[in-house]
Amino acid sequence: MIREQFDLSGTTAIITGAGSGLGRSMALSMAAAGADIVGAARRLEPLEESKAMVEELGQRFTVITCDVIDSEAVNAMVAEAISEHGRIDILINNAGGGAAGRGKTLPELTDGDWHLGIDTNLSSAFYCSRALIPHYLENGGGRIINVTSGWGFRGGRGNFMYSISKGGVIQLTKALAMTYARDNIRATCIAPGAIPYQAPPEMQEQMGERQPIGRVGVVEDIGTMAVLLSSAASDYVSGETVLVDGGAIAGGLIPAGIEPVVGG
Amino acid sequence: MADNVQPFFDLSGKHALVTGATGALGRALAGALADAGADVSVTTLNNDAGEETEANSILNECWSLGRKGEAKRVDLTDDAAVDAAISELEESIGPISILVNATHRANIKPVLDTSLAEWEREIERNATSVFVTSQAAGRRMLERGTGRIVNLVSVLHDRGAPNCALFGASQGAVLGFTKSLGLEWGRGGVTVNALGIGFYDDVEGLQGDEEVHAVLERYIPVRRLGTPGDLQGPLVYLVSDEAAFVDSELIVVDGAIQIHA
Repeated sequence: MIREQFDLSGTTAIITGAGSGLGRSMALSMAAAGADIVGAARRLEPLEESKAMVEELGQRFTVITCDVIDSEAVNAMVAEAISEHGRIDILINNAGGGAAGRGKTLPELTDGDWHLGIDTNLSSAFYCSRALIPHYLENGGGRIINVTSGWGFRGGRGNFMYSISKGGVIQLTKALAMTYARDNIRATCIAPGAIPYQAPPEMQEQMGERQPIGRVGVVEDIGTMAVLLSSAASDYVSGETVLVDGGAIAGGLIPAGIEPVVGG
Repeated sequence: MADNVQPFFDLSGKHALVTGATGALGRALAGALADAGADVSVTTLNNDAGEETEANSILNECWSLGRKGEAKRVDLTDDAAVDAAISELEESIGPISILVNATHRANIKPVLDTSLAEWEREIERNATSVFVTSQAAGRRMLERGTGRIVNLVSVLHDRGAPNCALFGASQGAVLGFTKSLGLEWGRGGVTVNALGIGFYDDVEGLQGDEEVHAVLERYIPVRRLGTPGDLQGPLVYLVSDEAAFVDSELIVVDGAIQIHA
Protein backbone atom coordinates (compact mmCIF):
# COMPACT_ATOMS: atom_id res chain seq x y z
CA MET A 1 0.00 0.00 0.00
CA ILE A 2 1.48 3.27 -1.15
CA ARG A 3 -0.27 5.24 1.60
CA GLU A 4 1.63 3.20 4.20
CA GLN A 5 4.70 5.15 3.10
CA PHE A 6 3.19 8.12 4.95
CA ASP A 7 2.81 6.13 8.18
CA LEU A 8 4.71 7.70 11.10
CA SER A 9 3.88 4.99 13.64
CA GLY A 10 6.74 4.39 16.05
CA THR A 11 8.43 7.73 15.32
CA THR A 12 8.86 10.75 17.58
CA ALA A 13 9.07 14.34 16.38
CA ILE A 14 10.34 17.41 18.20
CA ILE A 15 8.33 20.41 17.04
CA THR A 16 9.38 23.86 18.19
CA GLY A 17 6.60 26.41 18.49
CA ALA A 18 4.12 23.54 18.87
CA GLY A 19 1.74 25.59 21.01
CA SER A 20 0.03 27.44 18.19
CA GLY A 21 -0.70 27.86 14.52
CA LEU A 22 1.46 25.95 12.10
CA GLY A 23 3.37 24.10 14.84
CA ARG A 24 0.19 22.82 16.43
CA SER A 25 -1.20 21.83 13.05
CA MET A 26 1.96 19.88 12.22
CA ALA A 27 1.74 18.15 15.61
CA LEU A 28 -1.87 17.15 14.94
CA SER A 29 -1.34 15.95 11.37
CA MET A 30 1.77 14.00 12.30
CA ALA A 31 0.05 12.49 15.34
CA ALA A 32 -2.86 11.51 13.10
CA ALA A 33 -0.27 9.72 10.94
CA GLY A 34 1.01 7.91 14.03
CA ALA A 35 3.87 10.02 15.44
CA ASP A 36 4.52 10.87 19.08
CA ILE A 37 5.34 14.53 19.63
CA VAL A 38 7.70 16.55 21.79
CA GLY A 39 6.36 20.10 21.83
CA ALA A 40 8.81 22.84 22.73
CA ALA A 41 7.81 26.48 23.20
CA ARG A 42 8.25 29.35 25.61
CA ARG A 43 4.76 29.33 27.07
CA LEU A 44 3.32 26.37 28.97
CA GLU A 45 -0.43 26.88 28.53
CA PRO A 46 -0.59 26.68 24.72
CA LEU A 47 1.62 23.57 24.83
CA GLU A 48 -0.76 21.99 27.35
CA GLU A 49 -3.62 22.65 24.92
CA SER A 50 -1.70 21.05 22.06
CA LYS A 51 -0.90 18.11 24.33
CA ALA A 52 -4.58 17.50 25.07
CA MET A 53 -5.39 17.62 21.34
CA VAL A 54 -2.61 15.21 20.39
CA GLU A 55 -3.48 12.81 23.22
CA GLU A 56 -7.04 12.77 21.95
CA LEU A 57 -5.59 11.26 18.76
CA GLY A 58 -4.03 8.52 20.85
CA GLN A 59 -0.40 9.70 20.65
CA ARG A 60 2.08 10.85 23.29
CA PHE A 61 2.90 14.53 23.66
CA THR A 62 5.74 15.67 25.90
CA VAL A 63 5.67 19.30 26.97
CA ILE A 64 9.04 21.06 27.29
CA THR A 65 9.13 24.80 27.87
CA CYS A 66 12.16 26.22 26.12
CA ASP A 67 13.23 29.50 24.56
CA VAL A 68 14.92 28.32 21.37
CA ILE A 69 17.10 31.41 21.06
CA ASP A 70 18.97 30.20 24.17
CA SER A 71 21.38 27.48 23.03
CA GLU A 72 21.86 25.99 26.49
CA ALA A 73 18.11 25.71 26.92
CA VAL A 74 17.94 24.04 23.49
CA ASN A 75 20.62 21.51 24.46
CA ALA A 76 18.69 20.68 27.63
CA MET A 77 15.40 20.41 25.70
CA VAL A 78 16.87 17.98 23.17
CA ALA A 79 18.50 15.91 25.95
CA GLU A 80 15.20 15.70 27.80
CA ALA A 81 13.34 14.73 24.61
CA ILE A 82 15.82 11.91 23.94
CA SER A 83 15.70 10.65 27.51
CA GLU A 84 11.86 10.75 27.61
CA HIS A 85 11.31 9.03 24.25
CA GLY A 86 14.52 7.04 23.81
CA ARG A 87 14.76 8.03 20.18
CA ILE A 88 13.97 11.12 18.12
CA ASP A 89 13.34 10.67 14.40
CA ILE A 90 12.12 14.07 13.24
CA LEU A 91 12.94 17.68 14.16
CA ILE A 92 10.73 20.50 12.96
CA ASN A 93 12.30 23.91 13.41
CA ASN A 94 9.09 25.87 13.31
CA ALA A 95 9.51 28.49 16.06
CA GLY A 96 10.11 31.97 14.72
CA GLY A 97 8.60 35.35 14.21
CA GLY A 98 8.88 38.76 12.64
CA ALA A 99 8.36 41.03 15.62
CA ALA A 100 11.96 42.20 16.05
CA GLY A 101 12.41 45.82 15.00
CA ARG A 102 9.01 45.97 13.33
CA GLY A 103 8.08 49.41 12.07
CA LYS A 104 11.59 50.87 12.34
CA THR A 105 13.64 52.27 9.47
CA LEU A 106 17.10 50.81 8.88
CA PRO A 107 18.99 53.57 10.76
CA GLU A 108 16.64 53.07 13.71
CA LEU A 109 17.33 49.35 14.04
CA THR A 110 19.55 48.57 17.03
CA ASP A 111 22.14 45.82 17.39
CA GLY A 112 19.66 44.20 19.75
CA ASP A 113 16.89 44.26 17.10
CA TRP A 114 19.26 42.69 14.57
CA HIS A 115 20.42 39.89 16.86
CA LEU A 116 16.92 39.14 18.11
CA GLY A 117 15.61 38.92 14.54
CA ILE A 118 18.40 36.63 13.38
CA ASP A 119 18.30 34.52 16.55
CA THR A 120 14.54 34.04 16.52
CA ASN A 121 14.39 32.51 13.05
CA LEU A 122 17.87 31.33 12.16
CA SER A 123 20.04 30.74 15.25
CA SER A 124 17.18 28.79 16.84
CA ALA A 125 17.08 26.31 13.93
CA PHE A 126 20.87 26.07 13.97
CA TYR A 127 20.93 25.37 17.73
CA CYS A 128 18.24 22.68 17.57
CA SER A 129 19.86 20.96 14.57
CA ARG A 130 23.30 21.07 16.17
CA ALA A 131 21.97 19.60 19.40
CA LEU A 132 20.22 16.68 17.67
CA ILE A 133 22.71 15.68 14.95
CA PRO A 134 24.90 13.47 17.20
CA HIS A 135 21.79 11.49 18.16
CA TYR A 136 20.85 11.07 14.48
CA LEU A 137 24.38 9.93 13.61
CA GLU A 138 24.24 7.38 16.42
CA ASN A 139 20.83 6.13 15.31
CA GLY A 140 21.60 5.88 11.62
CA GLY A 141 19.56 8.82 10.40
CA GLY A 142 16.69 11.22 10.89
CA ARG A 143 14.77 14.13 9.41
CA ILE A 144 15.11 17.86 9.91
CA ILE A 145 12.37 20.09 8.54
CA ASN A 146 12.88 23.84 8.67
CA VAL A 147 10.23 26.48 8.16
CA THR A 148 11.01 29.51 6.03
CA SER A 149 8.78 32.07 4.34
CA GLY A 150 8.24 33.64 0.95
CA TRP A 151 10.36 36.47 2.38
CA GLY A 152 13.26 34.04 2.32
CA PHE A 153 13.08 34.17 -1.51
CA ARG A 154 11.99 37.66 -2.46
CA GLY A 155 12.72 41.17 -1.33
CA GLY A 156 10.53 43.32 0.84
CA ARG A 157 10.82 46.99 1.62
CA GLY A 158 11.97 47.63 5.18
CA ASN A 159 12.00 43.89 5.88
CA PHE A 160 15.53 43.17 7.05
CA MET A 161 15.99 40.60 9.78
CA TYR A 162 12.97 38.52 8.80
CA SER A 163 13.95 38.18 5.14
CA ILE A 164 17.60 37.68 5.93
CA SER A 165 17.04 35.07 8.61
CA LYS A 166 14.48 33.20 6.50
CA GLY A 167 16.86 33.23 3.53
CA GLY A 168 19.46 31.82 5.92
CA VAL A 169 17.07 29.02 6.90
CA ILE A 170 16.93 27.89 3.24
CA GLN A 171 20.73 27.77 3.13
CA LEU A 172 20.88 26.00 6.51
CA THR A 173 18.64 23.35 4.98
CA LYS A 174 20.99 22.88 2.03
CA ALA A 175 24.09 22.76 4.24
CA LEU A 176 22.51 20.13 6.50
CA ALA A 177 21.31 18.11 3.52
CA MET A 178 24.72 18.12 1.85
CA THR A 179 26.72 17.48 5.00
CA TYR A 180 24.69 14.53 6.25
CA ALA A 181 23.22 13.02 3.08
CA ARG A 182 25.43 9.93 3.40
CA ASP A 183 24.35 9.49 7.02
CA ASN A 184 20.74 9.01 6.02
CA ILE A 185 19.76 12.40 7.38
CA ARG A 186 17.33 14.33 5.20
CA ALA A 187 16.90 18.09 5.61
CA THR A 188 14.04 19.87 3.92
CA CYS A 189 12.22 23.14 4.31
CA ILE A 190 8.61 24.30 4.09
CA ALA A 191 7.79 27.81 2.89
CA PRO A 192 4.24 28.64 3.94
CA GLY A 193 2.44 31.42 2.14
CA ALA A 194 -0.32 33.59 3.60
CA ILE A 195 -1.95 31.59 6.39
CA PRO A 196 -3.34 34.28 8.70
CA TYR A 197 -5.12 31.87 11.04
CA GLN A 198 -5.47 34.50 13.77
CA ALA A 199 -6.95 37.20 11.52
CA PRO A 200 -10.69 37.91 11.48
CA PRO A 201 -12.57 36.37 8.53
CA GLU A 202 -13.03 39.66 6.65
CA MET A 203 -9.29 40.35 6.78
CA GLN A 204 -8.55 36.80 5.63
CA GLU A 205 -10.87 37.39 2.68
CA GLN A 206 -9.11 40.64 1.76
CA MET A 207 -5.72 38.98 1.96
CA GLY A 208 -7.04 36.07 -0.07
CA GLU A 209 -8.03 38.36 -2.93
CA ARG A 210 -4.37 39.39 -3.27
CA GLN A 211 -3.17 35.80 -3.55
CA PRO A 212 -2.87 34.26 -7.01
CA ILE A 213 -5.08 31.35 -6.01
CA GLY A 214 -7.74 33.75 -4.72
CA ARG A 215 -7.70 32.71 -1.08
CA VAL A 216 -5.41 32.32 1.88
CA GLY A 217 -4.24 28.96 3.21
CA VAL A 218 -5.18 27.09 6.38
CA VAL A 219 -2.84 25.60 8.95
CA GLU A 220 -3.71 22.05 7.86
CA ASP A 221 -2.02 22.79 4.51
CA ILE A 222 1.27 22.83 6.40
CA GLY A 223 0.43 19.87 8.64
CA THR A 224 0.01 17.47 5.75
CA MET A 225 3.16 18.76 4.01
CA ALA A 226 5.01 17.97 7.25
CA VAL A 227 3.64 14.41 7.05
CA LEU A 228 5.03 14.06 3.51
CA LEU A 229 8.46 15.40 4.46
CA SER A 230 8.66 13.38 7.70
CA SER A 231 7.77 10.07 6.15
CA ALA A 232 9.35 7.36 4.01
CA ALA A 233 7.31 8.78 1.11
CA SER A 234 9.95 11.50 0.68
CA ASP A 235 13.08 9.41 1.23
CA TYR A 236 14.74 10.71 -1.97
CA VAL A 237 13.91 14.37 -1.22
CA SER A 238 16.62 16.38 0.53
CA GLY A 239 17.89 19.94 0.53
CA GLU A 240 14.61 20.98 -1.04
CA THR A 241 12.43 23.91 0.02
CA VAL A 242 8.78 23.42 -0.87
CA LEU A 243 6.40 26.34 -1.16
CA VAL A 244 2.88 25.88 0.17
CA ASP A 245 1.68 29.29 -0.82
CA GLY A 246 -1.11 29.17 -3.39
CA GLY A 247 1.26 30.30 -6.14
CA ALA A 248 2.32 33.48 -4.32
CA ILE A 249 6.04 33.20 -5.03
CA ALA A 250 5.51 31.99 -8.61
CA GLY A 251 3.30 34.97 -9.37
CA GLY A 252 3.95 37.60 -6.77
CA LEU A 253 1.05 39.44 -5.24
CA ILE A 254 -1.17 40.29 -8.14
CA PRO A 255 -0.03 43.52 -9.80
CA ALA A 256 -2.84 45.94 -10.68
CA GLY A 257 -4.33 45.16 -14.05
CA ILE A 258 -3.16 41.56 -14.29
CA GLU A 259 -6.11 39.35 -13.55
CA PRO A 260 -5.99 35.59 -13.72
CA VAL A 261 -8.25 34.19 -16.39
CA VAL A 262 -10.46 31.34 -15.31
CA GLY A 263 -11.99 29.41 -18.14
CA GLY A 264 -10.91 27.76 -21.33
CA MET B 1 -1.92 3.50 14.87
CA ALA B 2 -3.38 0.11 15.57
CA ASP B 3 -5.26 -0.31 12.31
CA ASN B 4 -2.44 1.22 10.26
CA VAL B 5 -4.91 3.17 8.10
CA GLN B 6 -3.45 6.49 7.08
CA PRO B 7 -5.84 9.43 7.30
CA PHE B 8 -4.42 11.43 4.40
CA PHE B 9 -3.95 11.33 0.65
CA ASP B 10 -6.84 9.02 -0.26
CA LEU B 11 -7.55 9.21 -4.00
CA SER B 12 -10.63 6.99 -4.01
CA GLY B 13 -13.27 8.03 -6.52
CA LYS B 14 -10.91 10.12 -8.63
CA HIS B 15 -10.01 9.33 -12.23
CA ALA B 16 -6.38 10.01 -13.16
CA LEU B 17 -4.88 10.16 -16.64
CA VAL B 18 -1.17 9.40 -16.96
CA THR B 19 0.20 10.37 -20.36
CA GLY B 20 3.15 8.77 -22.06
CA ALA B 21 2.73 5.92 -19.61
CA THR B 22 5.25 3.50 -20.96
CA GLY B 23 8.37 2.26 -19.28
CA ALA B 24 9.24 2.02 -15.63
CA LEU B 25 8.33 5.63 -14.92
CA GLY B 26 4.77 5.38 -16.24
CA ARG B 27 4.33 2.06 -14.48
CA ALA B 28 5.41 3.48 -11.10
CA LEU B 29 3.28 6.62 -11.40
CA ALA B 30 0.12 4.90 -12.65
CA GLY B 31 0.59 2.16 -10.08
CA ALA B 32 0.92 4.64 -7.21
CA LEU B 33 -2.27 6.45 -8.17
CA ALA B 34 -4.20 3.19 -8.46
CA ASP B 35 -2.76 1.97 -5.16
CA ALA B 36 -3.92 5.19 -3.45
CA GLY B 37 -7.45 4.56 -4.72
CA ALA B 38 -7.79 6.30 -8.09
CA ASP B 39 -9.11 4.87 -11.31
CA VAL B 40 -6.28 5.24 -13.79
CA SER B 41 -6.22 5.63 -17.56
CA VAL B 42 -3.05 5.86 -19.57
CA THR B 43 -1.96 7.00 -23.02
CA THR B 44 1.02 6.08 -25.13
CA LEU B 45 3.63 8.63 -26.10
CA ASN B 46 4.12 8.02 -29.80
CA ASN B 47 0.91 6.48 -31.13
CA ASP B 48 3.00 3.34 -31.38
CA ALA B 49 1.84 -0.32 -31.24
CA GLY B 50 4.73 -1.47 -29.02
CA GLU B 51 3.91 1.24 -26.53
CA GLU B 52 0.25 0.30 -26.66
CA THR B 53 1.12 -3.21 -25.50
CA GLU B 54 3.11 -1.76 -22.64
CA ALA B 55 0.37 0.71 -21.70
CA ASN B 56 -2.07 -2.19 -21.53
CA SER B 57 0.29 -4.09 -19.27
CA ILE B 58 0.52 -1.09 -16.90
CA LEU B 59 -3.24 -0.85 -16.95
CA ASN B 60 -3.56 -4.51 -16.07
CA GLU B 61 -1.66 -3.85 -12.85
CA CYS B 62 -4.11 -1.08 -11.97
CA TRP B 63 -7.08 -3.36 -12.74
CA SER B 64 -5.59 -6.01 -10.46
CA LEU B 65 -6.01 -3.49 -7.61
CA GLY B 66 -9.70 -3.28 -8.41
CA ARG B 67 -9.58 0.02 -10.29
CA LYS B 68 -11.12 0.96 -13.60
CA GLY B 69 -9.28 2.59 -16.48
CA GLU B 70 -8.46 2.38 -20.16
CA ALA B 71 -5.40 2.65 -22.34
CA LYS B 72 -5.45 4.97 -25.37
CA ARG B 73 -3.03 4.88 -28.26
CA VAL B 74 -2.82 8.52 -29.26
CA ASP B 75 -0.37 11.06 -30.67
CA LEU B 76 0.03 13.58 -27.82
CA THR B 77 0.91 16.40 -30.20
CA ASP B 78 -2.38 15.99 -32.10
CA ASP B 79 -4.80 18.23 -30.22
CA ALA B 80 -7.96 16.94 -31.87
CA ALA B 81 -6.98 13.32 -31.24
CA VAL B 82 -6.13 14.02 -27.60
CA ASP B 83 -9.40 15.88 -27.08
CA ALA B 84 -11.34 12.98 -28.56
CA ALA B 85 -9.45 10.44 -26.43
CA ILE B 86 -10.18 12.39 -23.25
CA SER B 87 -13.87 12.65 -24.17
CA GLU B 88 -14.03 8.88 -24.62
CA LEU B 89 -12.18 8.20 -21.37
CA GLU B 90 -14.48 10.51 -19.42
CA GLU B 91 -17.52 8.90 -20.94
CA SER B 92 -16.48 5.35 -20.14
CA ILE B 93 -14.63 5.77 -16.82
CA GLY B 94 -15.60 9.16 -15.38
CA PRO B 95 -14.46 12.79 -15.16
CA ILE B 96 -10.67 13.15 -15.15
CA SER B 97 -9.63 15.22 -12.13
CA ILE B 98 -5.93 14.28 -12.17
CA LEU B 99 -3.57 14.65 -15.13
CA VAL B 100 0.02 13.45 -14.83
CA ASN B 101 2.21 14.37 -17.77
CA ALA B 102 4.83 11.65 -17.74
CA THR B 103 6.07 12.27 -21.26
CA HIS B 104 9.66 12.24 -20.17
CA ARG B 105 12.20 11.21 -22.78
CA ALA B 106 15.71 12.49 -23.31
CA ASN B 107 17.68 12.85 -26.52
CA ILE B 108 21.23 13.18 -25.18
CA LYS B 109 23.29 14.60 -28.01
CA PRO B 110 25.89 17.29 -28.79
CA VAL B 111 24.31 20.39 -30.29
CA LEU B 112 26.62 20.34 -33.34
CA ASP B 113 25.39 16.85 -34.21
CA THR B 114 21.73 17.76 -33.84
CA SER B 115 19.41 18.54 -36.71
CA LEU B 116 16.65 21.11 -36.53
CA ALA B 117 14.16 18.25 -36.89
CA GLU B 118 15.63 16.55 -33.81
CA TRP B 119 15.34 19.79 -31.82
CA GLU B 120 11.72 20.17 -32.85
CA ARG B 121 11.01 16.55 -32.01
CA GLU B 122 12.45 16.97 -28.48
CA ILE B 123 10.36 20.07 -27.82
CA GLU B 124 7.26 18.40 -29.27
CA ARG B 125 7.35 15.19 -27.32
CA ASN B 126 8.38 16.73 -24.00
CA ALA B 127 6.77 20.17 -24.04
CA THR B 128 4.15 20.45 -26.80
CA SER B 129 2.52 17.26 -25.52
CA VAL B 130 2.16 18.86 -22.09
CA PHE B 131 0.43 21.90 -23.58
CA VAL B 132 -1.95 19.74 -25.61
CA THR B 133 -3.00 17.40 -22.80
CA SER B 134 -3.19 20.16 -20.17
CA GLN B 135 -5.42 22.26 -22.39
CA ALA B 136 -7.79 19.39 -23.17
CA ALA B 137 -8.01 17.97 -19.65
CA GLY B 138 -7.74 21.36 -17.93
CA ARG B 139 -10.68 22.84 -19.85
CA ARG B 140 -12.88 20.09 -18.44
CA MET B 141 -11.42 20.38 -14.92
CA LEU B 142 -12.15 24.13 -14.88
CA GLU B 143 -15.76 23.52 -15.88
CA ARG B 144 -16.07 21.28 -12.84
CA GLY B 145 -14.05 23.62 -10.59
CA THR B 146 -11.49 21.06 -9.47
CA GLY B 147 -8.38 19.37 -10.77
CA ARG B 148 -4.72 18.53 -10.34
CA ILE B 149 -2.12 18.66 -13.07
CA VAL B 150 1.40 17.39 -12.35
CA ASN B 151 4.20 17.64 -14.90
CA LEU B 152 7.45 15.72 -14.65
CA VAL B 153 10.48 17.97 -15.01
CA SER B 154 14.15 17.00 -14.95
CA VAL B 155 16.64 18.86 -12.75
CA LEU B 156 18.18 19.74 -16.12
CA HIS B 157 15.57 22.51 -16.35
CA ASP B 158 17.90 24.37 -13.99
CA ARG B 159 21.34 22.78 -14.05
CA GLY B 160 23.27 22.22 -17.22
CA ALA B 161 25.20 19.21 -18.47
CA PRO B 162 27.10 18.67 -21.70
CA ASN B 163 24.97 17.04 -24.42
CA CYS B 164 21.78 17.91 -22.55
CA ALA B 165 20.90 21.18 -24.29
CA LEU B 166 17.91 19.80 -26.22
CA PHE B 167 16.52 17.92 -23.28
CA GLY B 168 17.21 20.77 -20.84
CA ALA B 169 15.45 23.26 -23.11
CA SER B 170 12.37 21.06 -23.24
CA GLN B 171 12.37 20.78 -19.45
CA GLY B 172 12.72 24.53 -18.96
CA ALA B 173 9.74 24.95 -21.25
CA VAL B 174 7.61 22.63 -19.14
CA LEU B 175 8.51 24.37 -15.88
CA GLY B 176 7.77 27.82 -17.27
CA PHE B 177 4.45 26.51 -18.59
CA THR B 178 3.68 24.99 -15.18
CA LYS B 179 4.29 28.18 -13.21
CA SER B 180 2.11 30.42 -15.34
CA LEU B 181 -0.64 27.89 -15.89
CA GLY B 182 -0.98 27.33 -12.13
CA LEU B 183 -1.65 31.05 -11.76
CA GLU B 184 -4.15 31.10 -14.63
CA TRP B 185 -6.17 28.22 -13.28
CA GLY B 186 -5.59 28.32 -9.49
CA ARG B 187 -8.70 30.39 -8.85
CA GLY B 188 -10.67 27.88 -10.85
CA GLY B 189 -9.73 25.11 -8.44
CA VAL B 190 -7.16 23.55 -10.73
CA THR B 191 -3.59 23.45 -9.43
CA VAL B 192 -0.64 22.91 -11.75
CA ASN B 193 2.63 21.71 -10.25
CA ALA B 194 5.79 19.88 -11.25
CA LEU B 195 7.67 16.92 -9.86
CA GLY B 196 11.40 17.25 -10.32
CA ILE B 197 13.35 14.17 -11.31
CA GLY B 198 17.07 13.79 -10.80
CA PHE B 199 19.05 10.95 -12.29
CA TYR B 200 17.03 7.75 -12.11
CA ASP B 201 17.63 4.16 -13.02
CA ASP B 202 15.22 2.82 -15.64
CA VAL B 203 14.62 6.34 -17.03
CA GLU B 204 16.15 7.81 -20.21
CA GLY B 205 18.94 10.31 -19.77
CA LEU B 206 22.61 10.97 -19.27
CA GLN B 207 22.79 8.19 -16.69
CA GLY B 208 22.15 5.58 -19.40
CA ASP B 209 25.88 5.68 -20.08
CA GLU B 210 27.69 3.22 -17.79
CA GLU B 211 30.62 5.51 -16.97
CA VAL B 212 28.34 8.46 -16.28
CA HIS B 213 26.23 6.20 -14.06
CA ALA B 214 29.26 5.30 -11.97
CA VAL B 215 30.24 8.96 -11.59
CA LEU B 216 26.70 9.91 -10.61
CA GLU B 217 26.60 7.25 -7.89
CA ARG B 218 29.47 9.04 -6.21
CA TYR B 219 28.29 12.56 -7.00
CA ILE B 220 24.65 12.38 -5.89
CA PRO B 221 24.67 13.49 -2.23
CA VAL B 222 22.54 10.59 -0.94
CA ARG B 223 24.83 8.20 -2.82
CA ARG B 224 22.36 6.43 -5.03
CA LEU B 225 20.47 7.06 -8.24
CA GLY B 226 16.75 7.44 -7.89
CA THR B 227 14.17 4.89 -8.96
CA PRO B 228 10.71 5.63 -10.33
CA GLY B 229 9.35 4.39 -6.99
CA ASP B 230 10.89 7.43 -5.29
CA LEU B 231 8.34 9.63 -7.07
CA GLN B 232 5.30 7.73 -5.84
CA GLY B 233 4.84 9.36 -2.43
CA PRO B 234 5.40 12.94 -3.60
CA LEU B 235 3.06 12.34 -6.57
CA VAL B 236 0.26 10.96 -4.40
CA TYR B 237 0.67 13.98 -2.12
CA LEU B 238 0.58 16.51 -4.97
CA VAL B 239 -2.61 15.15 -6.57
CA SER B 240 -4.45 14.75 -3.26
CA ASP B 241 -7.06 17.09 -1.79
CA GLU B 242 -4.55 17.89 0.96
CA ALA B 243 -2.28 19.71 -1.52
CA ALA B 244 -4.92 22.32 -2.46
CA PHE B 245 -2.69 25.25 -1.41
CA VAL B 246 0.33 24.03 -3.38
CA ASP B 247 0.24 25.66 -6.81
CA SER B 248 2.76 26.63 -9.51
CA GLU B 249 5.37 24.80 -7.46
CA LEU B 250 8.08 22.26 -8.17
CA ILE B 251 8.91 19.49 -5.70
CA VAL B 252 12.33 18.10 -6.52
CA VAL B 253 12.91 14.40 -5.82
CA ASP B 254 16.56 14.06 -6.67
CA GLY B 255 18.66 12.86 -3.74
CA ALA B 256 19.78 16.50 -3.31
CA ILE B 257 21.69 16.75 -6.60
CA GLN B 258 20.10 20.09 -7.52
CA ILE B 259 21.57 21.74 -4.41
CA HIS B 260 25.00 20.14 -4.85
CA ALA B 261 27.84 22.57 -5.42
